[in-house]
Amino acid sequence: MTDTLTQSTTAEPHCVYAAKDFSSGAHPVWCPGCGDYGVLASLERALAKHGRPPHEVVMVSGIGCSSRLPGYMSTYGFHGVHGRGLAVGTGLKLTRPDLEVIVVGGDGDGYSIGGNHFIHACRRNVDMLYVVMDNRVYGMTKGQPSPTTEPDWDSEIAPGGIGLRPFNPLAVAIASGANYVARGFSGDPNGLADLIVDAIRWPGFAFIEVLSPCVTFRPEQMHWKKMVRPSSLSIEQDRAAATALVLGDDGFSLGVLYRGDRAPVAPPIKPQISVADVEREFALRA
Amino acid sequence: MARTSIAVVFAGSGGSGAMSAGAVLLRAAAHAGYYGLMTQLFGAQVRGGESASLVQVSIDPIESQPDRYDLFVALDWEKVEQFAAEIPLDEASVIIADPQAGTVPAGIAKSKGRVVPVSMSDPAATKLERGVQGRRVNMFAAGLVGALVGLNPSDLQAAAEAVFSDKGADIIAANAKGAAAGIAAAATLTLNARLDPPKPAARWLISGNQAIALGALRGGVRFVGCYPITPATDLVEWLAPHLTALGGRLVLGEDELASVNMTLGAAYGGTPAMTVTAGPGFSLMVETLGLAVAAEVPFVLVDVMRAGPSTGIASKTEQSDVNLAIYGAHGDAPRVVMAPISVADCITTAEYAVYVAESLQTPVIVLSDQALGQATTVIDPSDKRPPPLKRRLNGVAPATPFKRYAIGTDPVTPMPLPGTPGFEWVAEGLTHNEAGLPASGAGAHVAQINKRAKKIARFDPGPYWGETWGEGDTVVLAFGSTIGPAREAARRLAASGHQVRIVALRVLSPVPMEALARALSGARRIIVVEQNHGAQLYHHLIGQKAIPPSAESVARPGPLPFRPSEIASYVV
Repeated sequence: MTDTLTQSTTAEPHCVYAAKDFSSGAHPVWCPGCGDYGVLASLERALAKHGRPPHEVVMVSGIGCSSRLPGYMSTYGFHGVHGRGLAVGTGLKLTRPDLEVIVVGGDGDGYSIGGNHFIHACRRNVDMLYVVMDNRVYGMTKGQPSPTTEPDWDSEIAPGGIGLRPFNPLAVAIASGANYVARGFSGDPNGLADLIVDAIRWPGFAFIEVLSPCVTFRPEQMHWKKMVRPSSLSIEQDRAAATALVLGDDGFSLGVLYRGDRAPVAPPIKPQISVADVEREFALRA
Repeated sequence: MARTSIAVVFAGSGGSGAMSAGAVLLRAAAHAGYYGLMTQLFGAQVRGGESASLVQVSIDPIESQPDRYDLFVALDWEKVEQFAAEIPLDEASVIIADPQAGTVPAGIAKSKGRVVPVSMSDPAATKLERGVQGRRVNMFAAGLVGALVGLNPSDLQAAAEAVFSDKGADIIAANAKGAAAGIAAAATLTLNARLDPPKPAARWLISGNQAIALGALRGGVRFVGCYPITPATDLVEWLAPHLTALGGRLVLGEDELASVNMTLGAAYGGTPAMTVTAGPGFSLMVETLGLAVAAEVPFVLVDVMRAGPSTGIASKTEQSDVNLAIYGAHGDAPRVVMAPISVADCITTAEYAVYVAESLQTPVIVLSDQALGQATTVIDPSDKRPPPLKRRLNGVAPATPFKRYAIGTDPVTPMPLPGTPGFEWVAEGLTHNEAGLPASGAGAHVAQINKRAKKIARFDPGPYWGETWGEGDTVVLAFGSTIGPAREAARRLAASGHQVRIVALRVLSPVPMEALARALSGARRIIVVEQNHGAQLYHHLIGQKAIPPSAESVARPGPLPFRPSEIASYVV
């Protein structure tokens, strides 16, 4: 690990923002007790700590309960279509490297309809943060199994369980090239805020999978607070070891699980030619 | 007797070099001062399928496929019969073929064209050697035809060098030798192929796809999200290094869903952005078209149309995405749809599309097609450019909250760039209120639908609505690659005393009602010509009451291009 990667590229800013400066004041559509409130609070705290003003931050999302989040923040935002938040964020960050781009969404949005974009965002390693609020259910459509749902979870659309192996987003992220992979818990807003600040400052594509209970359709997830614990390991660089770690754990170990040192995509170069130069290529001799 | 134009086919199996032969002839003729147009005909196979370049050279501008070909040069006979039906020949056509390549196949011979045997390869070569050498006869063929039409050897050799500039010295030398042999062989033939002297001027050699790319660059596009798809791929391949050198970026997405959303993300950030695709990719992009309408984020979508539906014929042309472009998306999602009028106009239309998208904060679709996009042609470059229109960024003092989607007299509301303090707003695809927050009440829904509809309804393209030629009371109304053959048909009909007016629509939607009404004034007969089975443009115009119910429709699917004679024979 090089020093440039272990240290923040910017000095710790003088903290001039409070968490509330990042709140739009709009009332969320979320159910009382929803884990996403904790994620929203964590993001507001993290951005205050990070120290960039709200107008330099863009929250990008897809569709679903958690994707409503950009409207609840005082930053710029883009609430797009289902599953495509990462693509919007990629285009934005590549053309506006001066902005802090954070993509948020849920497990259905990111791992099912947007699964292909997730893989390729990890490969592309654009310098942005992706936060997935995983509650292992489609909540907005009232309780269908998502890619991370346990195979035996009973639901109206899949009585007796969907019977499929859950998707492991952390292993997929590490295998696909994400440069920073962590797991957080919505019930631990301070710990999650610290992770978010760390992830924002880490170069390249950072991915935080957040356990964010759905109290309405998965009330048993309220027990997650008893199951989570800090991860005993945090792997640097070694993707095989990191993959073994995330495939081997029970899904409740929190913290930074993997950090790599891939260089993120470079910003566009300064113009070398003009459009008039391009036009001359077509000219025949007079 | 010399002639003013000639239409030549170089045909062979894929890999025979038919495209290179055509490119060399076209470039040499263009350098000499002739006009020219080359289109490509090939099957779906990457290698080993049928392949032909169709080249016209003339002392006058060419914007249409010919009715027939004067010269057919067979590089081999292996696959040629597969598209014999797409290359009209007749008894006046001359078929040049190597006797060693075998007999002329029935599909070509039935034209009764005169067969002229020319040994392009070594007659003593074994079958194996012929298999290898067969790949080299294309430059012989290009040299032969070039000399027959009267091009000088130095122009032909310079063109061969330009076409193969990325190849090694040995290949360039071998090609030069082949071309020289072809030039020498021309002296032994007596054919009526010689062209009148050209009228040289400062011109450009450009393809429709390159012209779209150039227009977009002129308009300020500095981000392109794309995914490979025939026949649009060569556009983005040409664009990629140029865009990078201009300080922009082209990103190859994982699919069209990604590429169009990346485009939208870049556009939201303030960079004029474009995505480039063909029908199947356009189908995938439709969900984001609706998002761009609702969130009022500008971008340009270029659809180089090909034969559909589904995968259709990837390499061949059709004008059958009109409905998708104008109406595709759930909900009420008005947008602007335009089509280039010619290869040269691809530059103007693409630049104009960027300005309209940016100034109206709306997606603009440019419907090109394979026949325009993959036509390489000599054009007279124009300095005339559409007046630049910019995105409206600010102009109001920050309110709390800032009302990005404010309802007022002007439906185009300021769209501050992210990074601007005090104007933080969320681009929102849900029905939203004026501040951009999701709202599901009737008031906000109707107000925002009206706002977006008003933007499009108020759009006045002015002189960029389209073009007209001629004064007759019979009108042929066309768009895209159908305009060229319609104009050629009108020229021929005028020569025989029938005046026909051509009305070419650039803006297909919203229909430029007043300009079109003026263009159609006094028309006794209106004929809408388009290349799709469903008469998509005709029904659009009828539906908008832009043409009377008495208007006639000539609508047939691709992939065969309209030929001037087909349109002329319908008119009279």
